[in-house]
Amino acid sequence: MTATTAAVRVDGLTKIFGTGAAIQDLSFEVGANRFVTVVGPSGCGKSTTLRMISGLMRPTEGKVYLRGKEVGGVIGDVGMVFQAPVLLPWRNTLANVLFTAEMRGKSPVEYRQRALELIALASLEGFEQRYPHELSGGMQQRVAICRALLLNPSLLLMDEPFGALDIMTREKMGFELQKIWNASKTTVLFVTHSITEAVLLSDTIIVMTARPGRAKAVIPVELPRPRDTKTLRDPRFVEIAGIVRDNIEAQWVE
Amino acid sequence: MTQERKDRVRKAAETMAGFVAILIVWQYGAGFLRLPAYILPLPSAIAVRFWQTLPVQLHHLGVTALTTVIGLALSLVVGVLLALSVIYVKPLQAMVLPILAAFNSIPKIAIAPLFVIWFGLGMEPKVLLAFLLGLFPVFVNSVTGLGEIEPDVLDLARLAGGNEWRIFLKVRLMHAVPYIIDAVKVAFPLALVGSIVGEFIGGNSGVGYLILSGQFNMDTSLVFACLASITLFTTTAIAGVAALERNFLRWRPSRRNK
Repeated sequence: MTATTAAVRVDGLTKIFGTGAAIQDLSFEVGANRFVTVVGPSGCGKSTTLRMISGLMRPTEGKVYLRGKEVGGVIGDVGMVFQAPVLLPWRNTLANVLFTAEMRGKSPVEYRQRALELIALASLEGFEQRYPHELSGGMQQRVAICRALLLNPSLLLMDEPFGALDIMTREKMGFELQKIWNASKTTVLFVTHSITEAVLLSDTIIVMTARPGRAKAVIPVELPRPRDTKTLRDPRFVEIAGIVRDNIEAQWVE
Repeated sequence: MTQERKDRVRKAAETMAGFVAILIVWQYGAGFLRLPAYILPLPSAIAVRFWQTLPVQLHHLGVTALTTVIGLALSLVVGVLLALSVIYVKPLQAMVLPILAAFNSIPKIAIAPLFVIWFGLGMEPKVLLAFLLGLFPVFVNSVTGLGEIEPDVLDLARLAGGNEWRIFLKVRLMHAVPYIIDAVKVAFPLALVGSIVGEFIGGNSGVGYLILSGQFNMDTSLVFACLASITLFTTTAIAGVAALERNFLRWRPSRRNK
C-alpha cells in the first residue's frame, strides 16, 4: 500500500430511494489520518453517505474504497458514533466501552487496559462504574466515542455526534474530541451542521449540495493545531468559516 | 442510607397498619353483627384453623406450588422460544401470531375438563393449565423485549463485527430480561389460577382440592385458611421477583434513584 492510497475514496456514489435520488454522483477522498468534515443542508444525504461508507448500506451506483479496497459489506474496521449515544442501559461505562470488543468476539479482559486509557483520555475517570442514566448527555457521547475507538478502527465515522447537546456542552465536546483524536490520529469523517465545529476540528471540509447530494466544494483548513478557544478569534478561522458559509448560502438562491 | 432504611420501615409499618385495621374491623364487626361462622368466620377462628391444619396446608400447598412452578417454567421456555422463532423467521410471524391470538381468546378454564379426559387426574392437566395461562403474557413480552431493539444498536454491533449469536446473547437477551421479569409477575398468578382450577375439577391433592373439601364440610374457616396460605405463597414469590429486580436490575428506569 502506498502513502498516496486514500483512507476513504468515494467514487460516483449514487443512492436512489424510491424514485428520488438522495445522493447523485458523489465523489471525494479522505487522506489517511485526516479529519474531514462534511457539512450541508438537512436531508442532503450525509447520513446515507456515512452508512454506505461503513458498508451498512449498499449504494445504487458507484463505489466506496477503504484504503484501496472496495467495500462490499461491513468490514469491521470502522467505528461509528451516532447523534444519540445509544449506550446499553444495563452496562456501566467500562462495559459499554468494551461492547465493541465483545461483539468482535474478543475477551473484554484483553481490552480492559485500553478501555480505561480511553476513558481517562475522554475525561471520564471515576465514572467507569456508572450507568448511562447517571451520566450527562455530553459524558454519554464521550463514552460512545471511546466505544467506537476501542478496536483502533482505521476509520471513525461520526454522524452529527454533538447534534443533540446544548450549545455550551457542544463547544466543550469539540475540544475534547480534538484531544482524543490527537492521541489516536485515526482517520475521521465527521458530519455536522455547525460551521464553527467544522472549521475548528477539520483538516478539510466538504460542502454538500441539497438533495440530491453532491460535493459542492472542498475547503482545506490550514490552521495550526492544537486549536483552542483562541483559534475561534483567529482572523484565518473567521475567513475560512466565511468561505464555508458562502458555499452553503450560495445554494439558497439556486 | 439510614434515612432510606427509616423510610422503608415506616412504609412497611403503614402497610401493616392497613391490614391490622381491616382485621380489627372484621373481628369485632362480624362479632357485633352475629354473622354465623359458616358465612364469615372470625379472623381469630381462621387463625386457629390455619394453625391446626398447618401440616395439611403445607402438603397441599406444596403440590399446588409444584404444578404452578413447572407450568410457569414451561410457559417461560416455550414463550421465549416462540418469540424467538417469530423474530428470526419472519414468515412464521403471519402464521404463529393469528393462531396464538385465536387461542388466547378461548377461556382456557373452559377447556379444563377436556384435559381431565385426556390426561387423567394426576399432575399433567394442572401443569398444562398453568402453562397455557402463563404462556401468553410471556410470549407477548418476549417479542417486545427480544425484538424491539434500537436499529442504531444493531448497526453498532454489526459494525464491530458482531454475529447474530453474540447480538442475541449480549443485546437481545439482556434487553429482554426486564420484560420477561414483568411477564413473570403477571404469569405467576395466572399459572396459579390454572393449577387451582385443575385441582377443582379433578384429583385429590392441592390447595384447590383442600378448598373444595372445606366447602363440602361447610368448614368455611378452612376455606379462608387456604386463601391465607395461597396469599402467603404468592406474596413470597412476588417479593422474591422484586428482590431479584432490586439487586440485578439497578439500571431499570423504575429502580433509578431508589
